[in-house]
Amino acid sequence: MKVSELAKALELRLISAEGYEDREVTGCYIGDLLSWVMGRAEPGDAWITIMSNINIAAVASLADTACVILAEGVVPDPGVKEKCDMQDIIVLGSDKTAYELAAGYARLT
Amino acid sequence: MKELSLHILDIVQNSIKAKAKNITVDIDEDDSADKLTITITDDGCGMSEEFLANVRDPFTTTRTTRKTGMGISLFEAAAKQTGGALDIKSKLGEGTTLTVWFGLSSIDRAPLGDMAGTMVTIIGGAPDIDYIYRHKTGKGEFILDTRELREVLGDVPFNVPDVLNWINGYIEEGLADIS
Repeated sequence: MKVSELAKALELRLISAEGYEDREVTGCYIGDLLSWVMGRAEPGDAWITIMSNINIAAVASLADTACVILAEGVVPDPGVKEKCDMQDIIVLGSDKTAYELAAGYARLT
Repeated sequence: MKELSLHILDIVQNSIKAKAKNITVDIDEDDSADKLTITITDDGCGMSEEFLANVRDPFTTTRTTRKTGMGISLFEAAAKQTGGALDIKSKLGEGTTLTVWFGLSSIDRAPLGDMAGTMVTIIGGAPDIDYIYRHKTGKGEFILDTRELREVLGDVPFNVPDVLNWINGYIEEGLADIS
């Protein structure tokens, strides 16, 4: 499934890296402790988190996730969107909880 | 909490509740040691040894007294997840010093956050207390001392919008110079 299809099905807001939504999503991972996520998220995962600081860009890039989904209405800290735009890191936003988002993903696969 | 400044606000509220007359917030960003150290010192009522022994335990503290919430245990957890630690020294009638350090470059370290806004909230909320905010980085040091401000302001109180806006801008500029 493409990021664009996931975004449409789960009604996600596109925050950064417009034009890259044809990237493939092959899994899903939830986590907020960044060092933990860095070692566990798989390439191609849709990574769901409530963290919003600049380090999410570094972790998404290192773990090569398909996209980052900010849950529960979280918005990125100032400067994070710009960094993610530069690095082609897709960040999406939602008011749903991490559970609702992951359950939504599971229903699509 | 997603920013360290929110922890600082929380801890300083404890100092204010402890009837401190002077509160110092000291932040030291030490690149060579890879440490971010925050020290909050007050001359409030202090804590008994018994209270101090339990103050990090979220269950003991919330169940036996209402003086402290989860604040200290959460602050300690935030430090530990970056390889850091938290220490509290306190004496009844003399005051309390809380020192907490974080791995400066740890990816799990929350950003410091809006220190100018935090100090303004603190000063505006309890304007009769004197505060020193000292912030050191590899590029220099910024110090805000409300006793110096009082000399300039005379009878003008701190908790009016113009003064608080000025303090906010003053801190923001000072921090920009050393970041």
